[in-house]
Amino acid sequence: METSRPVVVKRVPERLDMTEARRFLQSVEPILRRDRPQLVFDLSNVRRLDSAGVDMLLRCMSEAMKHDGDVKLAAPSPEALVVLELTRTGRLFEIYENATDAARSYSSFLPNVLRQFAAPDHSTIVFPSQAPKPTVAKEDKDAA
Amino acid sequence: MDVRAIVLIGGRPESSRAQLGGVPLAMLDMLGASMLNRVTQRMRQQGVGATAVLSEFDPFHERALNHEVCWFKASREQLWRYAEALFNDFAQSGAELMLVMRLGPYINLDFERLLEFHLDRQSRVTQARGSSGKLLDLLVVSASRRNDAAFMFRNMLTGFRTPPEIYDAPGYENSLETPADLRLLAVDTLAEKSGLMPLGRELKPGVWVGPNARLDSRARVLAPAYIGAHARVRNMAVITRGSVIERHCHVDCGTVIEDSTILPFSQIGAGLDVSYSVVGFRRIAHLRQRVEVEISDERLIGMASTSAPVRALHEMLSLAAGIPRALLSSLRAKHQETPVTLPEAIQAPSPALSGATLEHQDRADRHFAPELMAARRYGNQ
Repeated sequence: METSRPVVVKRVPERLDMTEARRFLQSVEPILRRDRPQLVFDLSNVRRLDSAGVDMLLRCMSEAMKHDGDVKLAAPSPEALVVLELTRTGRLFEIYENATDAARSYSSFLPNVLRQFAAPDHSTIVFPSQAPKPTVAKEDKDAA
Repeated sequence: MDVRAIVLIGGRPESSRAQLGGVPLAMLDMLGASMLNRVTQRMRQQGVGATAVLSEFDPFHERALNHEVCWFKASREQLWRYAEALFNDFAQSGAELMLVMRLGPYINLDFERLLEFHLDRQSRVTQARGSSGKLLDLLVVSASRRNDAAFMFRNMLTGFRTPPEIYDAPGYENSLETPADLRLLAVDTLAEKSGLMPLGRELKPGVWVGPNARLDSRARVLAPAYIGAHARVRNMAVITRGSVIERHCHVDCGTVIEDSTILPFSQIGAGLDVSYSVVGFRRIAHLRQRVEVEISDERLIGMASTSAPVRALHEMLSLAAGIPRALLSSLRAKHQETPVTLPEAIQAPSPALSGATLEHQDRADRHFAPELMAARRYGNQ
């Protein structure tokens, strides 16, 4: 299936607490209100994530789903993965090794990516701690 | 025979690696008691007289310290000098043999045999070697050999005037260098491999419970597991796959603890999944991801005070604050579906997340979208 709609790749700030989460949500709200928004959050920089940050991710996802869109996560740092797993939210998102794969997944299914990084218990998708850096993760940049 | 012991904690640059939240692993509780307490207690049982602990670190709570040992604190630079002075003091006050041990690796050792070996060989210094072939920081020194002892302390137990006799210690060994080693030691102890015993009584086969631990009626604990003294596991929580909940911990409703160790005084929020981790001091060391993350959000992982009066005061205050809140919410109550069975509870999203609302959102938006809830409730309807 091909899609002509843009995929927005957004880099999440290093610290995602109440204040930063609110600021980040404000910056993505216009995108989320579009018809069928396609978003990729690049979590490679995230070093601190708390419940407000996770709540913001869930809010973005529910907002995107209201408009028939989706939010996918890319290159999560080990710190972000630990908190996503702790709060049981990791299983609610599609998680990819890098932003390119996440953006491409909107237009085609990537079974190899999923198979390669599927956890042994199949509950969440996890990555090796030394995951390579994303190649196209650019703030506010539309990826085809 | 007058045998005395000097137990050292820290003193080398690499000792900062074997810590969690700034506390050395040897001083952290493991199934009810720290390695330090277990080792000093075993020494006493096997005929060692006075024991002095010389540490670079403070005990992080009052129960971490065994009151039958003398505790001295010294900076890393001063530690070895103090150890030398302590050795001389013990020798002058009549000690014949000195057991010198730097805590780090755990070894299931019979101290009596080590002392016998030292006397049989009539050596000045005897050093123990673990089953892995690694030389340990565990030595027996004749108290009259002050120069040998001084040389040994000045070289941080790595250099000797004359080569020491080597005592091969068979049996279980754990390097206790990382949180993963602490976790492995706990699992091996629950599996009865390490020669240690959990502190408490065996409630049912494989499930050990410390004094005054509280398990709510609908909490589920699967063997092997350990719940420490004064710990509380609330309804719908699941403790499984060799998990260890140490003293004064609080595991809230619906949380699953799997193959993890929760260190003393930790408070784990409701509806969380803690797996393959060592949690404590507001930190989580994830053993699979090999990362240590600081969690500053009390709704996820918090820490109770180590002081009993402060904890009691905090509980009274939270109870007093909770009564009017409960009355108000019951007055405004709407019917809400809450999980009533264990599988539902552990599938539900963490209630910790619903508290973290962003201020500009209106009340109606504070809940997840109906589509999302429908997606998460599969299997319930």
